[in-house]
Amino acid sequence: MADQDILLAVRDLRVSFRLDRDLAFEAVKGVSFDVPANSTVALVGESGSGKSVTSLSILGLLPPENSRILPGSKILFGGHNLVELSASEKRRLRGAEISMIFQEPMSSLNPVLTVGYQLGEVLQLHLNLSPKQARTRAIELLREVGIPEPDRKIDAYPFQMSGGQQQRVMIAMAIACEPKLLIADEPTTALDVTIQRQILELIGELQKRHRMSVLFITHDLAVVGEIADRVVVMKDGIIREQGLAKDVFERPQDAYTKALLLCRPQLDRRPARLPVIDDFMSNGGKAPPALAERTRGLTGKEEFVLEVKGLCKDFHSREGLFGKRTFHAVKDVSFRLARGKTLGLVGESGSGKTTVGLTLMRLHEASSGEVLFDGKDLLALSPSEMMAYKRRIQIIFQNPYASLNPRFTVGAVLMEPMIIHSIGASEEERQKMAMDLLKRVGLPEVSFYKYPHEFSGGQRQRIAIARCLTMKPDVLICDESVSALDVSVQAQVLNLLQDLQDEFRMSYIFISHDLAVVKYISDQVMVMNEGVIVEIANSDDIYRAPKHPYTQKLLASIPKGWHHAP
Amino acid sequence: MSAYIIRRVWQMVPTLLGVVLLIFFLFNWIGGDPAYVLAGKISNPEQIENIRRQLGVDQPYWKQLLIFLQQILTGDFGASWSTNEKVSQIFLTRLGPSLTVLVPILVLETLIAIVIALGVAYVRGSLTDRLVMVACTVGMSISLLVYIIVGQYVFAYKLGWFPVQGWGESVSENLFVYAALPVLLGLLVGIAPNTRLYRTFILDEINQDYVRTARAKGVSENRTMLVHVLRNALIPIITNVMAYLPGLLVGAFLLERFFSIPGIGREVILAVERSDFPVIKAVTIYVAMATMVINLLADLMYKAVDPRVVLK
Amino acid sequence: MTTMTASPHFVASPGLWTLAWRRMRRDHVGMVSLLIVAAFILMMIASGSGFLARDWSKEVGANYAPPTFVGADASGQSVIIPATEAGEGDVVESNVSDPIASELAELRPKPKGAVAGAGPSEGAVVDPLADIMAEIKGKGGTEAVKEQRAATLPFGADKWGRDVLQKVIKGSETSIFVGLAAALVATLLGTVFGAFSGYYGKWVDDFFNWFYSVFTSIPYLLLILAIAAVLQQKGLTTIILILGLTGWTGIYRLIRAEYLKHKSREYVQAADAIGASGNRRMFVHILPNVSHVILVQMSLHVVQFIKAEVILSFLGFGVPVDVVSWGSMLNEAQNELILGKWWQLVVAGTAMAVLVTAFSMLTDSLRDALDPKLK
Repeated sequence: MADQDILLAVRDLRVSFRLDRDLAFEAVKGVSFDVPANSTVALVGESGSGKSVTSLSILGLLPPENSRILPGSKILFGGHNLVELSASEKRRLRGAEISMIFQEPMSSLNPVLTVGYQLGEVLQLHLNLSPKQARTRAIELLREVGIPEPDRKIDAYPFQMSGGQQQRVMIAMAIACEPKLLIADEPTTALDVTIQRQILELIGELQKRHRMSVLFITHDLAVVGEIADRVVVMKDGIIREQGLAKDVFERPQDAYTKALLLCRPQLDRRPARLPVIDDFMSNGGKAPPALAERTRGLTGKEEFVLEVKGLCKDFHSREGLFGKRTFHAVKDVSFRLARGKTLGLVGESGSGKTTVGLTLMRLHEASSGEVLFDGKDLLALSPSEMMAYKRRIQIIFQNPYASLNPRFTVGAVLMEPMIIHSIGASEEERQKMAMDLLKRVGLPEVSFYKYPHEFSGGQRQRIAIARCLTMKPDVLICDESVSALDVSVQAQVLNLLQDLQDEFRMSYIFISHDLAVVKYISDQVMVMNEGVIVEIANSDDIYRAPKHPYTQKLLASIPKGWHHAP
Repeated sequence: MSAYIIRRVWQMVPTLLGVVLLIFFLFNWIGGDPAYVLAGKISNPEQIENIRRQLGVDQPYWKQLLIFLQQILTGDFGASWSTNEKVSQIFLTRLGPSLTVLVPILVLETLIAIVIALGVAYVRGSLTDRLVMVACTVGMSISLLVYIIVGQYVFAYKLGWFPVQGWGESVSENLFVYAALPVLLGLLVGIAPNTRLYRTFILDEINQDYVRTARAKGVSENRTMLVHVLRNALIPIITNVMAYLPGLLVGAFLLERFFSIPGIGREVILAVERSDFPVIKAVTIYVAMATMVINLLADLMYKAVDPRVVLK
Repeated sequence: MTTMTASPHFVASPGLWTLAWRRMRRDHVGMVSLLIVAAFILMMIASGSGFLARDWSKEVGANYAPPTFVGADASGQSVIIPATEAGEGDVVESNVSDPIASELAELRPKPKGAVAGAGPSEGAVVDPLADIMAEIKGKGGTEAVKEQRAATLPFGADKWGRDVLQKVIKGSETSIFVGLAAALVATLLGTVFGAFSGYYGKWVDDFFNWFYSVFTSIPYLLLILAIAAVLQQKGLTTIILILGLTGWTGIYRLIRAEYLKHKSREYVQAADAIGASGNRRMFVHILPNVSHVILVQMSLHVVQFIKAEVILSFLGFGVPVDVVSWGSMLNEAQNELILGKWWQLVVAGTAMAVLVTAFSMLTDSLRDALDPKLK
């Protein structure tokens, strides 16, 4: 029955953005797909694929100043073409028939209005409830989406809630008027993995209970595999493949879809190299031959380069008249890092994992503890003594757009550490080394003369890696270094990091919230929660048999993808 | 809350001390010997010595500073050098006229600017928006002096709609007769920059995610602007208005001078012209103290406007 | 492979400034504003170096000679067309003191730098125009006092019959120079204080914040007037210092916030990680990234200070009476208006309005071009 009942039909949707006075960019180029009634359709794609633009066009929420839905586009819903509806007709549909939730719950809620007000607004608007009725109904809704103490929380402001609760409020607002279609635009991307699990379950439950359809926009195929009935894969504004989830996951037809499915690290496999999109595209859409699996883990015979003992970091904030509040971000952390191996550090936001990385390098001063490197305690060195060690521990940050100085050319970025540490005898020699390194990380030599803004996120991350390599460090800290990258680019950078480790025998501390990536790249894994390391073990062991309850909870929350779906 | 207020008041002490030092440094150090200023150019050494003793400037600097601190604590700054009027008396009697002119200006210009800014933000990018913005830029560029000179000449001198200058006894007469033209001119000058500023505040908010949420809920454009956007834009607007408040105490210098309004601003200008140091010193210290208190009140007010503000 | 072989591929890559300039070039309003501002600055330099309005103080027209397009005043001024070129019949008027006159130099502890507009040596003892002025004076002195006065001038004349247009040009020298120089001082102070405060935090931040709160507890105009009251000697240096030393607070607050923001940015942390020193991070890494804020702020402050100078000079607390500025012209114009002589007011007011409008629009365009995200 569901297959015949089409709730929403998008036909030949084309959207163009005006970039400049005389420059336009077509973000969506003729997209057609259906959303059947009472089902979940996932719209999947990497950044720039046009998936979010498509979803915003349905509700008519594109910024009117610089975007335009081109003539000929149709969005059919309930017998109307939404593109042609008047503003007031569209408004009657929004929030009542079609509603939407967004990626950032914090900024998507009005910060100065209470949750009750914002929920009540939509109820009064579409259902003509009195303020009193609206309040009663709002409390029911909050209860339904699993907010504890809804009678009290209804008068709370968004900032007084956690990210998960904020997203629940957004969901409550979206389902308040029993819409037929819920559009969820990356609703769990900004959330921790355990919260993501809860939100996904909530959306699934509500979809069934209210018999609505969900259009789920995401970049994460593992999530899609769990929830979607149908899948639409988009790239560069066009649809590459669409069909039932079973078909798309088990027998993908399109080369890009195949690549997308395989280049993401999986929990049960660890190829020596991750396949990348180019492998598929150059191979006529056929998967490259399966590579040998890589074995990971420590054998017990390794030499250790770095030993951390009892590392603590406190932050202080003022409270009351003379009071001080101390927040223990890192509590008594101890571990050892083996030469040429990777130590994964996983944890949710606020677990203190990034602080550990910054404290090791003395980018933050530790409150107490020791960091032994070559038998020297780095934390006790004077700044001038530290200089000699600085080059031996390096860091790559998360945000590729912020980690390179936008006013420096790539050449200047690479030469700066060499000049500071007197590496290379002359300017020419340094320049040659920089160019060789650019080649090594897979960038053309002309990059030397360019500025960071001319590169994509993945390329910038390569430049950041090259900057570290100029100093030939022993230890490289990767702080969420691939988290901001698209899946296909992520695979390339992970492969590069692995190649470099094999070549230079560097040790990595790989900090990430992404459990699959950490499993893939690490020999050993540390799990952190609230500033404490709850478990350290070889990565295969920890994923197979987690001992600590928190680790168990964390691993149980990982989206399992298609294979594990019923 | 009370802990916050106590801490803030406590923090005022070093700032106030800084202001005192700054004023002391200016008037007792850079300013040179006030006796010469007081005595005029022709005076014999004896007279000057006499005056110096009276003023206490023959004392070492630390003693002069102590005297100054004592004046501040007792609120007794002595008498004006030129009129012999008590300084505290000057301040109290001149405050009323200043407020009579400035309070209507501040209230009206804020309200009018918010309305215009909302209007142009609503039609942002349109021809109307651009024309209003150009008008504001040009309007801001014409000197305040030109507005006042021309306004006074045309509306009071030529057309006779308003008195050219003067000040009466009753509050209503002052407000509606004598202050009317100054207020009008003040508005003419003040609305343009405020409209531009408030428009950017509103546009900043319009691009926020929560506005998109409101639209996704089916909230009308008007309601989105008036409830969601304005409520948030009010926070920087209020910050801006609060920054003006201390200015109320020093009056509108030029307006008061042109229209002979016996306010603090005119008094200050007169004092500067006559090198009447006690008056300037006292006004500066008083206003600085008041500014600090107003700033504290402003911070307390944010709590009411922005629930995210935590006073600690 | 050497760099030589790589160079054929080398195409000068546009940096952020180049890109901003390209955006700016497409902004017609911005470019027109830029031209107008440039023209005013050129005019200021030309006037300062004596190419323009050198003899603004010469009484070339009848008293209150009306603008040419209005026609000569009917009240019976004699109409004599000036036979000599400007400069030949120069007469030094008693009411207009020569800035380098030795008597004056002795009387004043500091020579005012009114004519040093073009150079940075503001307030220095060396007057670049001394020679020229002396020459003029010499010529003027030998010339007969016979005057030939015009009944009308292109934009009219003032009370003494001086050409309003020349006065406006000469006045621009004062007003624009004060605006630029004071903005430079304020920006420099605000940037340095803000950079140290935001970057180092802790007691450095506490100290500058205290300094800031002291200055901001006193309303701006009151502070300026207080300083003006104390400083008995008038002159360009004085007014530049007054405006500059009191006007840094807004820039300080912004730059401090920028430094706080950038300090925690990853590129600065990366610089720390590779061992770049604190000063290097502050000035080589962060400073270029906040330079657009500084530029826009400076531009805003030029406008603000030009307006302030006009008001101060109007009140008589600005430049000395013998130096012409737009503010002192407006002061004269105030009384003239009552007599129906409106031209000095209109010309000075318009010159200022045009410059300030152009400057404001230029600032807006700069902001848009330098920070394309903000619109």
